[in-house]
Amino acid sequence: MYRYDEFDAQLVAERTRQFRGQVERRLAGRLSEAEFRPLRLMNGLYLQLHAYMLRVAVPYGTLNSEQFRMLAHLAEKYDRGYGHITTRQNMQFNWPKLPDVPDMLDNLASVQMHAIQTSGNCIRNVTCDPYAGATAEEVEDPRPMAELIRQWSTLHPEFSFLPRKFKIAVTAAEKDRALIKAHDIGIQIILNEDGDVGYKIYVGGGLGRTPIIGQVLREFLSKGELLAYLTAALRVYNRYGRRDNKYKARIKILVQETGIESFREQVEAEYATIDVSDISVSDAERDRISSYFAPPEFEALANEPKALTDALDANRAFSLWAKNNVAAHKAPGYAIVNISLKPKDLAPGDITATQMRAVSDMADKFSFGELRSTHQQNLVLPHVKQADLPVLFEELEAAGLAADNINLITDIICCPGMDFCALATARSIPISQAIAERFADPERQRTIGEMQIKISGCINACGHHHVGHIGILGLEKAGVEFYQVKLGGDASEHAEIGKVTGPGFSQEELIDGIENMVDLYLKQREAGERFLDTYRRIGIAPFKEVLYA
Amino acid sequence: MSTLKHKGKGPQSMTANELRDGFSVWLDENLDWTRDFSKALRTEDQDLIDRMHLRAETDEKSNLVVGIYFIDIEPDTGLPARYREKFRVNGPSYDTADLLETN
Repeated sequence: MYRYDEFDAQLVAERTRQFRGQVERRLAGRLSEAEFRPLRLMNGLYLQLHAYMLRVAVPYGTLNSEQFRMLAHLAEKYDRGYGHITTRQNMQFNWPKLPDVPDMLDNLASVQMHAIQTSGNCIRNVTCDPYAGATAEEVEDPRPMAELIRQWSTLHPEFSFLPRKFKIAVTAAEKDRALIKAHDIGIQIILNEDGDVGYKIYVGGGLGRTPIIGQVLREFLSKGELLAYLTAALRVYNRYGRRDNKYKARIKILVQETGIESFREQVEAEYATIDVSDISVSDAERDRISSYFAPPEFEALANEPKALTDALDANRAFSLWAKNNVAAHKAPGYAIVNISLKPKDLAPGDITATQMRAVSDMADKFSFGELRSTHQQNLVLPHVKQADLPVLFEELEAAGLAADNINLITDIICCPGMDFCALATARSIPISQAIAERFADPERQRTIGEMQIKISGCINACGHHHVGHIGILGLEKAGVEFYQVKLGGDASEHAEIGKVTGPGFSQEELIDGIENMVDLYLKQREAGERFLDTYRRIGIAPFKEVLYA
Repeated sequence: MSTLKHKGKGPQSMTANELRDGFSVWLDENLDWTRDFSKALRTEDQDLIDRMHLRAETDEKSNLVVGIYFIDIEPDTGLPARYREKFRVNGPSYDTADLLETN
């Protein structure tokens, strides 16, 4: 993992000291709320519906066990004993008190973490494939490039006051686990025809009130060009992005209104004015950053060791969990373990301090001290010996973290909704819990197979409902919550925005309607089809019919 | 802070968030801030409303509270008229912290 150099450490320490002074001045009345608000937001501190909320950055979703223990400490000492993993791989605390926040940031800095650029109209935390460095599907580990972008974008003087926030996601695999086409800029590491590693750049994707799938800006960008090219794209956005209307200020609107061809011409023209050597980093510096992400020293092992196969035969619960939550690793004898944060009785993405410590211990014991957060609000232990899986499963069970529902109907993405968020129009957590309750039978979940339900409590779409196989949007009219349904969204490399079915429903009607659609799918599906595949084959009409029956 | 839709007709209450702890608060009959909405002052008396406004502005300047605004109250129920404000009164319908406390 990347370790802060002296500049990183100094920057974060100075920023924390600054914020401590700003909080002191605010509490003493020497800063008004109007003056203080942008300062607190720059440090990830929001005032939400019921209390403050601190959003901590988890760069590219990578954490070590020491950092996760610190998050547990913050949850326990300064919050109410738990944290919430967001759809941008960050962690939020729902109940911090303003005088405590500087101490929280000091604590974070002690483990090389911070909350900088988790809010505001700047380049936000870069998100990444949670299987980075562990999957055989990738061209190379995308995290060194993500780290390079983090360093470049942190407090970037030219891009700290953009027309609107700016989100970048990266992956190095064809299978997209980072939702790169729904980001302002998505980057895929690829090989060109000559076998050179470079980048395919997507631009203008986004969800929110105007969902748009990103388009290709550059088919291939060589490694040395990355920062200069991003600078050119950001400059065009900074120059022409709308500042008169926040709802039309994202780059997706600019790209849509300009047209991708014209936008590309503008970026290339700007790029031509840049001296690439001024911005690009040397191979030596790239190698230095990459060295922090060097693979752990994997032992020479064989796949499917006896300890694993015996346990698979002897323990059905383990077998079901392993089949669903464990993914193939690039090193023989190792596995990628997904830890579901979607048990029936917790809000999606919530994890208690006790569980955080337990996962930290498991990371130390089984995964070289490393773990990941995912945009699907789960965790990953990236490097687990297959022979250790049975023992790990026992420890997950003891910690209440052995739900075997990854990618199934109860693995729901869900924003905090009206229960916590000041922007929300309706609750989303109770909807996810009602769905989890209705489909609680694990056998039924497995029968249904892969299904992505995503719930947002308002049109800002933090719950990614536009790209859910079933997307749910919570709204409110005359004091009554109701829920609009979208069908056919796709968050994968075949990204697609779902279609609205029609008028909304009450919670009770919604859950019945979802069950009707699932039953229809089970009746209609052909061999190997997921819900999404059947939807694509037979169209929206039959699903609407049973949804509104 | 409330975003909009205060009609200013009928009974009113004054609300804000505590600056230090961030919790939602309402002015009570003594024009002190309470976290308990059941103790909130709900009134149509314009003189009282003016006094509430003055008190809230003073307390905001004194850095006790942040984001002051009036909310409309349903005359029949005594509850906030807007759904969002009803929600602020009750707190989250689900909070993992509550689960931790019961275990």
